[in-house]
Amino acid sequence: MAWQSVFAADELPEGGRKFYSIGKREIGIFRHRGKLYAALNYCPHAGAPICMGEVDHPISTKGPGGSTIRDFDHPTIRCPWHHWEFDLQTGKSLCPISRRIKTYTVREEDGHIWISL
Amino acid sequence: MSTCPIIDCDVHQNNPLVEQLVEYLDEPYRTELARYGFRRLASGIRGEDGGNRRDLDAKSFGDPTYFRSTLLDRYGHRFALLSGFTGPIAGIPDPDYVDAICRGLNNFYMEHWLPVDNRFRLGIKIPLQDPVAAVREIERLAGAPQIAAVCFFATANRIAFGNRYYWPIYEACQRHGLPIHIHPSTGSTMANASMTPAGEATTYLESHVCMPQFYMAQTASMVLNGVFEKFPALRVVLVEGGIAWLPHLLWRMDAEFKALRQQAPFLKRMPSEYVRDHIRLTTQPIEEPAEAEHLQQIFNMVDADHIVMYASDFPHYDFDEPTKLPCILGETTIRRILHDNACDFFNLPLVEPTHKAA
Repeated sequence: MAWQSVFAADELPEGGRKFYSIGKREIGIFRHRGKLYAALNYCPHAGAPICMGEVDHPISTKGPGGSTIRDFDHPTIRCPWHHWEFDLQTGKSLCPISRRIKTYTVREEDGHIWISL
Repeated sequence: MSTCPIIDCDVHQNNPLVEQLVEYLDEPYRTELARYGFRRLASGIRGEDGGNRRDLDAKSFGDPTYFRSTLLDRYGHRFALLSGFTGPIAGIPDPDYVDAICRGLNNFYMEHWLPVDNRFRLGIKIPLQDPVAAVREIERLAGAPQIAAVCFFATANRIAFGNRYYWPIYEACQRHGLPIHIHPSTGSTMANASMTPAGEATTYLESHVCMPQFYMAQTASMVLNGVFEKFPALRVVLVEGGIAWLPHLLWRMDAEFKALRQQAPFLKRMPSEYVRDHIRLTTQPIEEPAEAEHLQQIFNMVDADHIVMYASDFPHYDFDEPTKLPCILGETTIRRILHDNACDFFNLPLVEPTHKAA
């Protein structure tokens, strides 16, 4: 595992996303509510470019009829093709299934954005 | 007689005659019934081509001893769930009337049928038109001997079964350990005019063929509105709605949930898992594909070893004998369908306890 500088930090403003290619892989990098996220641009369901999808926030409840909240601290990415939804940090599906997306550790340092590959 | 004891999830004793029922009703319904008979909804389609088997003595369908000799003793029934008829109550808009009829019918069957043979079990009638009255009737009868289920009518409701309107009923059923028995609410008199999601059926043939559509809609409604997340001990049996549609519904619910989970965030498991844990289906009328192995494949897809139970629908024309389940299903599966799965569902011991002579 090695840290790779991908681009200058100011190229990725708040709410933005950029793509970085390495070999055959394309990685989507997001700055969302002050935090950075990175995921492989490949949905495990049908191979869609998942990082082109909508960044959302999962809804949860305390059960049917219970109060409903939207969790802004754990953004998700919704695939643009079939709307499968994955946690941008952990890569886990919001549904109880085993398939997940590949996510990467990402940080900002010295005016650059770095990904752990 | 089969070597396997049989648990039969759907047996239709006749309604009492009006003159038999009136003494079980309070006023003002006692006088009304004596004067006018049962209230009826009718769709204008001819149901008489369905109805009862013509080879039996129709005059005896209100006689429990006839059911004992013609069904229970003949096939080796261990348990027969009496589901009666929903015609006099399903879809009738007046909740007070329906409440009175339900109480009268329940009292009548408890007095005239259950004491005749302890293999009879009763599915009690409740007024779905009024959840408060329905809960009152469940509370009144739960725990009485031979009360085994609460009857819902599948096809004559204005509100689908996943709606919170029914929560008080589900809570009472769960608390008393009573499963819900969902049966079509149609017969020679249809309980509502529009019998398919596409519009009015023209014939009894068409409406009867379309019956599974109600079960698909009710299953999706209950699962996707979180009924089984809210009531984790609730059990439901879908009667007379077929089985072959289930793989499609399971796959479609799971596929759609992956895309649209945000609209049902209270579901903690995949929709198909709730079906496996909470819903059972009955055999009659069993699908009859030209190639028997096709039925076996469908049974494998839905884990029939655990979720399918036997129903005869006696004495209706589309009655299925317990001895006629396709052999290709194999002995183990057939035994589970005829007996073991229903034992689990109705919380019966797999084997009768041995009683020592006093």
